[in-house]
Amino acid sequence: MNEKATEEIGNGGIRRTFAGFGEIGILVLLIVVFSILNPAKFPTVANLNTILNTAAVPTIIGVGATFVVLMGRIDLSVEGIMGAAGLAYVLLSPNSRTSANWGFGAIVVAIALGAGLGVATALLHTRLKVPSFIVSLGMWYVGLGIAAVLFGQEMQPFLSDTDTSVWPTSAPLGISNSYLVALGVAALGFLVERFTRLGRVPYAIGNNEAVALLTGIPVARYCIYAFAIAGACSALAGVIASMSLGAGAANVGVGMVFFTLAAVVIGGTPLSGGKGGVLRTLVGVLVLSTLYNGLILSGVAPSLQSGVSGLVLVTAAIAAGWSQRDRLRIVK
Amino acid sequence: MTTAAGQTASGREPGANRPPVLELNGITKSFGPLVAVDNLSLVIGPNEVVGLLGENGAGKSTLLKILTGVHQPDKGSITVNGKKVTLRNPQEANAAGIGIVHQEQSLFTNLSVAENIVMGLSKQGARSTRFGLYRWGQVNRDAAAILARIGSRIDPRTKMSDLSFAHRQMVEIGRTIEIARETTRALDASDADHGTPLVILDEPTSVLERNETEILEREIRKLKDVGSVIFVSHRLEEVLRICDRLVVMRHGRLVADRPVGNITEDELFELMIGQGARSQAPASAKADAPAKAVLTVDSLSRRHTFHDVSFTVFQGRVTAIVGTVGSGREDVCRAIFGAEAFDGGTITVDGAPVRGWSVRKAIAAGIGYLPSERGVESVVGGLSAARNLTLTYPDKARAGALLSPALRNRLANLWFERLDVRPRDIGLELERFSGGNQQKVALAKWLIAGDLKVLILDHPLRGLDPGASAAVNELIREACRGGAAFILLADTLEEALDLGDEILVMRDGCVTARFDMAREHPTSLDLLEKMV
Amino acid sequence: MEWYTGPAGHTPQIAKSRLIRTTSNGSTGKCSVRNLTIWRKLVSSAASTVKVRCFLTRKFLAAASFGALAWASAAHAEVSQPTYPKSNLLLVTTVINATNPYMASWIQGSKDLAAKLGVPIEVVQSNGSSQTELAGIQAQAAKGKKIVLVMNPVAASNVPAVVQTINANGGYMVVWWNMPPGTEPKTSGDHFVAFGTYNGITAGECGAEHLVEALHGKGNIIALPGVLDSTVSQERYQGLLDTLKKNPDVKLLDTQPANWDQAIALRTTQQLIAKYGDKLDGVWTADDAMMLGAYQAFKQAGRLEKVKFSGEGAYPPVIDLMVKKAGNNAVVASAFHRGYMAAATGLLIAYKAAVGEIDVSKLTPEQRHGQYAIGCVTPENAAQFQANGGIPQGWLDELIKNPFKDLVGGPVLRTAAP
Repeated sequence: MNEKATEEIGNGGIRRTFAGFGEIGILVLLIVVFSILNPAKFPTVANLNTILNTAAVPTIIGVGATFVVLMGRIDLSVEGIMGAAGLAYVLLSPNSRTSANWGFGAIVVAIALGAGLGVATALLHTRLKVPSFIVSLGMWYVGLGIAAVLFGQEMQPFLSDTDTSVWPTSAPLGISNSYLVALGVAALGFLVERFTRLGRVPYAIGNNEAVALLTGIPVARYCIYAFAIAGACSALAGVIASMSLGAGAANVGVGMVFFTLAAVVIGGTPLSGGKGGVLRTLVGVLVLSTLYNGLILSGVAPSLQSGVSGLVLVTAAIAAGWSQRDRLRIVK
Repeated sequence: MTTAAGQTASGREPGANRPPVLELNGITKSFGPLVAVDNLSLVIGPNEVVGLLGENGAGKSTLLKILTGVHQPDKGSITVNGKKVTLRNPQEANAAGIGIVHQEQSLFTNLSVAENIVMGLSKQGARSTRFGLYRWGQVNRDAAAILARIGSRIDPRTKMSDLSFAHRQMVEIGRTIEIARETTRALDASDADHGTPLVILDEPTSVLERNETEILEREIRKLKDVGSVIFVSHRLEEVLRICDRLVVMRHGRLVADRPVGNITEDELFELMIGQGARSQAPASAKADAPAKAVLTVDSLSRRHTFHDVSFTVFQGRVTAIVGTVGSGREDVCRAIFGAEAFDGGTITVDGAPVRGWSVRKAIAAGIGYLPSERGVESVVGGLSAARNLTLTYPDKARAGALLSPALRNRLANLWFERLDVRPRDIGLELERFSGGNQQKVALAKWLIAGDLKVLILDHPLRGLDPGASAAVNELIREACRGGAAFILLADTLEEALDLGDEILVMRDGCVTARFDMAREHPTSLDLLEKMV
Repeated sequence: MEWYTGPAGHTPQIAKSRLIRTTSNGSTGKCSVRNLTIWRKLVSSAASTVKVRCFLTRKFLAAASFGALAWASAAHAEVSQPTYPKSNLLLVTTVINATNPYMASWIQGSKDLAAKLGVPIEVVQSNGSSQTELAGIQAQAAKGKKIVLVMNPVAASNVPAVVQTINANGGYMVVWWNMPPGTEPKTSGDHFVAFGTYNGITAGECGAEHLVEALHGKGNIIALPGVLDSTVSQERYQGLLDTLKKNPDVKLLDTQPANWDQAIALRTTQQLIAKYGDKLDGVWTADDAMMLGAYQAFKQAGRLEKVKFSGEGAYPPVIDLMVKKAGNNAVVASAFHRGYMAAATGLLIAYKAAVGEIDVSKLTPEQRHGQYAIGCVTPENAAQFQANGGIPQGWLDELIKNPFKDLVGGPVLRTAAP
């Protein structure tokens, strides 16, 4: 009697990891469509690297953003941190304005600055109970303000070392360097997400914060971790973007907030949290980058580009959520 | 049950040398003018299973919340294992050795079984997540071992949301037991003076089928060897069977504290509600006049779930469907209500077959559904009780185009009286009521519709104390007399036998037996035979 | 220096303005001020000696007499508009952001002029928001002093609201770059003194013609305008198209706006390089910031030596590149003008109106709405623009003598947008 009722139940869980990957389908579809529209130029190695170049910075940001979104929070301060950290890096490296040369230390300082701003965001959010949307929005402007102060009234600082400015887009190993860095960050993010408590707890918090508190999880502390990681990722992205730009600019991150958050959501990590992950964000960024590149290559008029992008994004969002449709589920 | 003088499995001598696991002295807790717990004193010894009984609103949940650190008492002291403690939050309660399995589940639906189990364990306890690194192989193996101990063969890698409520409850129990064991280990290691863990089980059997209940009982007995248990339940015969001692609360006070040996269910009942003997189920004096068929289900099927189900529901009658987990009975009911699709067969309401069925159409056709998972599917916690009442049929409270608060309140007050809902505050948010009282409001929500044809009751008496159960039972009968029809998915076979006019037995998606209660008198055993 | 007649322009939009012809030094203005003070003292003492109980009546008397005095002073002054003493003035300059080099130059010019004039100055930084700009100006106007404003509007539609504010305040304003059609200083009263702009078409041609020359009249180029719906961007693009019409062997392969932004231009150019590869010989941009982004993209692709670039605005870093002949003489031209010069010119014109050194009613139509000189910087003459940010020594002092010294014409004649 007992055996019947409690026979082997469950499906092994692993299969689930790959179940809802409609996003990959969208990516494949985009590649096919654009290859048809521009067969000479789109499906080439050179263009692949162009797409990867475009994807590198948002991927790095996206890894950090994923942790924050998993917990049901949001980090809008990306562009501000990119500007501040990017300028810090440029000013501490050989540049046209000063002769500082901190080498790798410049990158470390930049990342520390980003992490610090992230911690500040988290503290304001958890201690003062202000929604993360508002706090990070404010921190965005604080970051831009820091960047403006660093920029000062003088001329734009240019990186003196040309090798640095071509490093991100060169591809001695076949794949552009900046994307290799992005892959490294994503791999690290994935390992943390899968194999450490630091990465698992955000899933729990995003799923049911009340239960998490009851279970004794220090939610506030994990907020700080997540925002620190996101800030560090934004800072690293700012460094890479500034390298590529060859100069320090306060708005080096322009457009990244929308790009990255859209990629996170399209990849399959909903803003309500609890679901998704770093690998999904990786795919989401590739989808958007391919779209951006493909639209230009296929000659879509600039005035139509945003319209077409919007259409594709909505379709992708529908496709991504298709497998999870449930008649009685509530959608916000 | 081990005898009091017997050696426990861990080899420790029970009794004299060891301090009581729990000592409550003069605990008082008020919420404004309401005194929830009134000067309560209680001692629980090591290796004891103590049953905690009391009607809803008697103060049981407040007491449990005090024990688990959610609330702090206004007066009185708590002593655990000889040490006076202040429990400021659940973690401190855990650290002191008190673990609880909640009535409503506290699990993460997006994580796997194994992960849920390991998430609750402390740093010391979870070897598989040492230094914050998850060794999944070990995590899964540990989880499988924990589940095996309670006889469950759930694959630990399964995502929680893929499991049924009952299975999730098993995981919850397994986890709590593990926490309790772990606390013992920790206390063993640190204290020369062996501390004993205390596990609180808050109505764990209300969702379990009979066989699962047996597993739980077995576990509780094993738990006795290593610690003490507070067992909260409304199933009186269960309590009498499992516990060593009984403690009864009424109006916040302890009104009885007796060993189980010589008490009967009726005495218990009296102690709990302070009334006379439990109302007997009235003899089924149902008229034999041919009743109108309200709902007919013909060869209803849904792939992988149920197959070729046919029955008819008559006016003024209760059709009870019994079956174990996986029998498909809940899915049949959801299909009738339009909440799930079916791919074969027909449903006919009042002679007209349904087409393009949906929940809205079902409600419009006069079908109602009272779901089993109250918190998720039935109750909007943040709204007041009065508003919840008029959610489904707002027309009842309409004066012209607008909802009239006055009408609504009058309606709410009326039903609160009829169902004896406590506290009698229709403006209070529904989530603040005790589980049983919430259920009463949820039920009333459907009953206020005068033209309800069929009401599907999915475990309606779950979580209701005997007093409330009796009241709801009476309500159902009264509604039957008024011409309503019910489809009942009962918690226990007794319930089905008590209320049902016709009993269907389902197994693995098919109807295996049909009993017409007017003519036959099956026993629980007869039903069980067809269920498994 | 080669000075092109006709305007050239940089960021945001174009505003029309009327230019005021300066009259004398305004000693009469000072005189009338002194008179005013004496008269006011007389009146107030007269008013107080009159034993009027009612407080309101006394106030009314004072106001009425003061009004009469003002009328009287006006009748005596040389200029047609009301004027004020320098101590009662506050200079205000508006920028869209503080990190764009053009804006930084604008602020510097404003501050240098303020220092020379000895009047305090406030900077209103609008962060690209119309609301912020308007609110900032109104806040300054509410401080109590008369405002002397030079405005670089975020959007053309902002101008009428600001005109109202300044009219109410009694101060004077000059607008650069952007003004809604139908609004003119001439028809907006004396307080909106002038509108100035640079001819975008000429600026576009400066870049385009040198690009064509560097390509020897044959090749493929891409274009990066600013934003599709910006007047100044459209004008510059028009200059490019006009040039290309005269040189049919130079083909325009693609046009992708890059929002005046260096980083966006970098990303966009990367995609275009992927699309066209070796076919590209030149890049025309509507502004130096975008040019620098495109430049960087080609550098990364290793094709810098083979491509030519033209920009607009002659940023100091770009001038450097031209002087160094970087990348095999990659940068061929960039139209020169400075925020420094635009801001100082506009501020000075408004100031002179405020103190009476200019008579608004006597200004020519060109002075009230005209275009100003731009230069076309190429590798040949780049070295001359390096010192002092390209601003000639003593320029400011000369400007103070004649605020309209760089005026070269009337309103820009717009041809159809692309």
